[in-house]
Amino acid sequence: MNNKKVGILTIGLCLVLIVASFSGCVTEEEEPEPGEMVLIFGSSGDAKRLDPGDVTDGESIQRMDNIFESLVEYKPSSTEIQPCLATSWDMSEDGLNITFNLRHDVKFHDGTDFNADSVVFSFARQYNSSHPYHDYGEWAYWGYMFSDIDRVEKIDNYTIKIFLERTNAAIMTSLAMFTVCMVSPANAEQWGEDAFKHPSGTGPFKFVEWIKDDHITLEANDDYWRESPKLDKLIFRVIEDPSARLMALQTNEIQGMEYPDPTSFDAIEADSDLQLLTAPGMNVGYLAINCGYGYNDSNENGVRDPDEPWVKTLAYSEPLANKKVRQAINYAIDKNSIVDNLYKGTAVVAKNGMPPFMLGYNDDVEDYSYDPDMARTLLTEAGYPNGFTSTLWVMPVSRPYMFDPPKIGEAIQSYLAAVNITVDIYQIDWATYLEKTEAGEHPMCLLGWTGDNGDPDNFMNVLYAENACSIGTAGNVAFYNNSRVQEVLSAALQTYDTTERANYYEEAQMLLHENASHVYLAHSNQNVVFRSNVKGYVLHPTSRKFFYPVTIE
Amino acid sequence: MESKIATKIQELIKRFRYNKSAKERKRETKTQEMIRRFRYNKSAVFGLILILILVFCAIFADVIAPNDPTPSPPELEKSLKPGFWSEDGIEGMPLGTDMLGRCILSRMLHGARISLSVGFVAVGIAVLIGIAFGITAGYYGGWIDNILMRIVDIMFSFPGLLLAIVIVAVIGQGLDKAMIAIGIVYSPQMARVMRSSVLYVKETEYIEAQRAIGSSNLRIVFRHVIPNSMAPIIVYGTLMMATAILDAAALGFLGLGAQPPAPEWGAMLSDSRLYIVSGAWWAATFPGLAIVFAVLGLNLLGDGLRDILDPRLKT
Repeated sequence: MNNKKVGILTIGLCLVLIVASFSGCVTEEEEPEPGEMVLIFGSSGDAKRLDPGDVTDGESIQRMDNIFESLVEYKPSSTEIQPCLATSWDMSEDGLNITFNLRHDVKFHDGTDFNADSVVFSFARQYNSSHPYHDYGEWAYWGYMFSDIDRVEKIDNYTIKIFLERTNAAIMTSLAMFTVCMVSPANAEQWGEDAFKHPSGTGPFKFVEWIKDDHITLEANDDYWRESPKLDKLIFRVIEDPSARLMALQTNEIQGMEYPDPTSFDAIEADSDLQLLTAPGMNVGYLAINCGYGYNDSNENGVRDPDEPWVKTLAYSEPLANKKVRQAINYAIDKNSIVDNLYKGTAVVAKNGMPPFMLGYNDDVEDYSYDPDMARTLLTEAGYPNGFTSTLWVMPVSRPYMFDPPKIGEAIQSYLAAVNITVDIYQIDWATYLEKTEAGEHPMCLLGWTGDNGDPDNFMNVLYAENACSIGTAGNVAFYNNSRVQEVLSAALQTYDTTERANYYEEAQMLLHENASHVYLAHSNQNVVFRSNVKGYVLHPTSRKFFYPVTIE
Repeated sequence: MESKIATKIQELIKRFRYNKSAKERKRETKTQEMIRRFRYNKSAVFGLILILILVFCAIFADVIAPNDPTPSPPELEKSLKPGFWSEDGIEGMPLGTDMLGRCILSRMLHGARISLSVGFVAVGIAVLIGIAFGITAGYYGGWIDNILMRIVDIMFSFPGLLLAIVIVAVIGQGLDKAMIAIGIVYSPQMARVMRSSVLYVKETEYIEAQRAIGSSNLRIVFRHVIPNSMAPIIVYGTLMMATAILDAAALGFLGLGAQPPAPEWGAMLSDSRLYIVSGAWWAATFPGLAIVFAVLGLNLLGDGLRDILDPRLKT
């Protein structure tokens, strides 16, 4: 009897202790110290790496935008550049080298001085394959955007010079990108190949901790060369489900979030505690139709050399290689209805492969209308009066340029069924999806692009050039090879004359339109939601997220 | 001495009772008896009615569905419209529409077809594999039994749904493959049930008699053992059909089962759960209810069948 009572008491006591310890945990982690200004931002996924030179995904980038800085930076709401870690610069007359004067008295978070050596380090580790730190990263963006840089040299302690292999009209805007942010050489030496887990830059926030798939904590850098940021702490918390994210925001568990579900906009606007910030996005979401031919870039220079022949992609299919069939697909899909009803009006219909506000956008292109009869006629002309079957690859995750790809895929499936094209929908995890579409294993796929630097080259050359048809690393996942397109895109990059550049890009867009390698769907707005008392956040066209000016009232 | 007398008395009483009740029910055939006992079980009747409704929907989905479940081209402008309860509801779509503007009622009716066929086919596969394993193990015993039952043990050690996901990952996505996967996952349970009932049946006197007159093993197994061990399989199969539908819905929810645009209930639920927060509760609720009623119906029916088929529960 007595024993039993003691047993019950013990169990009860244990329960109380367990509960108490749990609540202890929560208060310890969640509750800010009084007077501390903390902003928790709900992200849709975790960062992959925290090394600015070695990332390509938006989640990693938005964390690093607040830790690192580059030589130049974008103005708060445009892609024009202004001085940052470089105070001034000079371009030589032939346009082949640029001299930068660096800012004095800037320190990295680990206490190292910022100077010419750290700049050279940050660049050289990416392009110099014999650099001791070269093997610690894949440096994908260097290949995409910076391969025209031949080398970077130190002139004196606070002057450096960048040498270009050929003229590049986009180079100055590109230099404001995350890829070429300055990293501390001492920090790289201390952590070696794990440096991506211990970032150290010159930016307004310092890295504190990273709990994988849960949160990343940053704190204000009191030694920042500008005024210290107003927030004391900035936490990026991962909440994958958009409705769970919104609920956390409504309960003030987090103070801001990205990618709200368009169907919830009415509810957000009705809630006086929340504010929805919207701006046109610099992106494009499209359906890429595999035209069938790629090349193996054996020397990995990102250019198709004469000894690299065109080969059929794995998913080559007779009907899709036919221009008329691709045009028919364009006619069969009602983009307006998709944008109105599935994007819920948070996007504009796309007719070209880059957003309308960019240099060289060709407004003369007349978009394919929604005309199923025309589509059937074209299919008959192409020799497929009874249609054909194919497979549509649909990404499993929401992207800035496409909020709900599975629904859009299903709508497209249904539109195509109306003109006798039977497509199966194929889904696979995101990492594999990217890998396999870059290798050309898809007959048709949904994909898109968010611009990095506001230069048309960053859309046209990356997504539609012949050189981007390299099997395995293709940016042109329609595998559309047209030598004239390549010619004008290369010419456009090498001239500094804006009108001439615009003309080249317009020609490229017209050619792409005629050959119907893609069905351009939409340019999505970028949306973030904050609590109403969060002030000072400015949406940047590149979708990068700078929290430096943000404050909570 | 004492116990011997007691058993004898009990035996007498038993015989007396049995004779009496048999007399009473003299004109009743076995089937009639079953039906009478089934009707007495109200929840089983309710389950049967639910299932009959479901079967009716599945067979006549084309006729009774008010709309095309997968209209082509899609009518996106009808996206997420409420049903009859709201003034904004569209005519002809009583339960509202999903994100792609498709009639939820029509999709649910057609979904009944998918769910029922999943239930039948998956359980059918499980029964076939299970009977083969169970008979061999139970009838022959010895080392064969040992090996087969250890294989079954291994399969039991995996959580069911997880094993199904693994199988789907290996053989590929799709409704047909999901059925096979679920069938394989359920077969060890069937094998166990079959084996235990074979172990009982093979010791009975009529089997002994068959052996005595020199019947071959094959004849004994197919003519006598299998028919006489089927009762628990039928009961268990009915109950299993409910879990099979649930698991198919789970696979559909994870995108591994039925592929779009097939109106599978689990996939419908998963497609629409995002919109509950924004107020479109109907798109996820009705397919969810359909799953609930189908599973409930099969469970009640299964319980009822056990009551009439299990001789130990006879009164």
